Amino acid sequence: MRERMKNILHILSRDSAPPKEVIVAFFEDESSFLKAAREAKGIKDLDAITPYPVHGLEQILNIKRSWIPWVTFIFGLIGLSAGLALTYYTSVVSWPLIIGGKPFFSLPAFIPVMFECTVLFSALASVAALFYACDLPRVNPPILDKDLTSHKFALYCPAEQNSETEVRQIFEQLGVEKVLTGSF
Amino acid sequence: MMSKNEESINIKQSPFIRKLSIVFMFLGVLTLLGSFLLEDSQKTAASYLVPFVYFLFLSLGALFFLSVQYVTGAVWSVNLRRMMESMTAYLPLSVLLLVPLVYYGQYLYEWFHPSHVENDPILMGKTAYLNVPFFLIRLAVFFAGWLFFYKKFIKLSHSQDKDGQLQWMEKLTRYSVGFLLFFALSFSFLSVDLLMSLDAHWFSTIFGVYTFAGAFQSALAGMILLTIYMIPRSKGRITKDHLHDLGKFLMGITLFWAYIAFSQYMLIWYANLPEETTFFIPRSKEPWMWVSIALIVFKFAVPFICLLPRWVKRNYVAVSVMSILILIMQYVDIYWLVYPSVSEEVLRWDLLDLGFFIGFLGLFLYSIFKFFSKYPALPLKDPMEQKSTDHHVTY
Repeated sequence: MRERMKNILHILSRDSAPPKEVIVAFFEDESSFLKAAREAKGIKDLDAITPYPVHGLEQILNIKRSWIPWVTFIFGLIGLSAGLALTYYTSVVSWPLIIGGKPFFSLPAFIPVMFECTVLFSALASVAALFYACDLPRVNPPILDKDLTSHKFALYCPAEQNSETEVRQIFEQLGVEKVLTGSF
Repeated sequence: MMSKNEESINIKQSPFIRKLSIVFMFLGVLTLLGSFLLEDSQKTAASYLVPFVYFLFLSLGALFFLSVQYVTGAVWSVNLRRMMESMTAYLPLSVLLLVPLVYYGQYLYEWFHPSHVENDPILMGKTAYLNVPFFLIRLAVFFAGWLFFYKKFIKLSHSQDKDGQLQWMEKLTRYSVGFLLFFALSFSFLSVDLLMSLDAHWFSTIFGVYTFAGAFQSALAGMILLTIYMIPRSKGRITKDHLHDLGKFLMGITLFWAYIAFSQYMLIWYANLPEETTFFIPRSKEPWMWVSIALIVFKFAVPFICLLPRWVKRNYVAVSVMSILILIMQYVDIYWLVYPSVSEEVLRWDLLDLGFFIGFLGLFLYSIFKFFSKYPALPLKDPMEQKSTDHHVTY
């Protein structure tokens, strides 16, 4: 039963893509990690794993802004129009009723619905986009080191684009003790 | 690091601003004296009320923001503390300006005259609250309370400059909680007294929140302008990241203002009760309708959409333009609250309004720069000072 559940989850999740081979350097504290990230020039596609958001890291690693806010914005606009369409169709086209002597098309009465639809659409779309961007949900993701979610930091780069000896040399010059290869 | 913290930054009052503010104040006094020659006292009174409320709200909004920072234990805003304090330095001076306001009350408020009230059953029912002695007592209590908290905030915050003890912070937090409770009530009642009772028959239970939203919005816009002035002078301790967060606040409160304004409008529009619609009827007719539309467009839609992108909040020119727009629209908003209740038919804005506004502006600028010449422009020994300097806004 358990195996079967696991199989179903595997099919649902996006684990089918094989994990990439990576070279990883581990750090025990934030300052040495940031120092290494700043000085590790010449490594292609350098990325990081941290247990919590580290301020300034996105500039150091040249990470671009997320595209999720655009999804939020566009779905907000869609939600706004959907709210207008819903209220217009129900109270003007499909079932017009005179309420309080107001005209059928009374925008002030529609605005709360339009506002709520904007919030609902943009919020749900943002969560969905986040799941898509982060490859969620994932069962049995590759784990480089369990401590990376509690107190350790890691810098990693894909093994394909970089030569392992060079990367090891750069990290060793920076005084990193633990450099491993793994799949992630 | 200690030596860096102790190094104080004093903003020398630039002689130009000093002279300008004194000239402005002089023009204001001239307007006040000249207004006694005019016959239309009601117009004079309304012209005086609008800037009085505008600048009082501006500095109360800053005092509110200051106490919120203490209550929430905010770290990012520590280096901005003196700017909020400087904007509240106007409060003690505004007490003097109450004298003409109380004098002008007779031309503005129907309930100042017992003979008017006697023949009006609705106003008779409100006399327990709307009467001159109680009005004066309320004003005295409100201003005494605000001045008490203002003095405490300034004194404790500067005691910390001397020894850097944490106990001052703890005291400030406690006073801030007290102030927020006092502010919530006093600000709502002040709005009722000064603005809502212009049309004494009308009432709206959300009115205090509406004026609060405008006050907070304009205080943030003022703070953003001050921050931009301070960034190059702060030796790297106030940065674009602080400006960015203030911009986010401004955008959020702009939405909040629109939300409250619409909530007030929609409920009155929907229920359509004659005693409530009296407020919106003159404001939905020409010429006031254009002012109402301008408020929706320029106090909400334009700043909200323009403040959405990240780069706008980090661009000095763009964010100043938005702040100035909001400061102008806050004036229009108070004008829109006052004038249709005083004289319904015509839209009037003349030299009298300009003169009073300039006079108040002069006093406000004078008090800000007086404050900066008296106190260091940044907190010196706050334990969170370094953290605030390192404040960084992620994408």
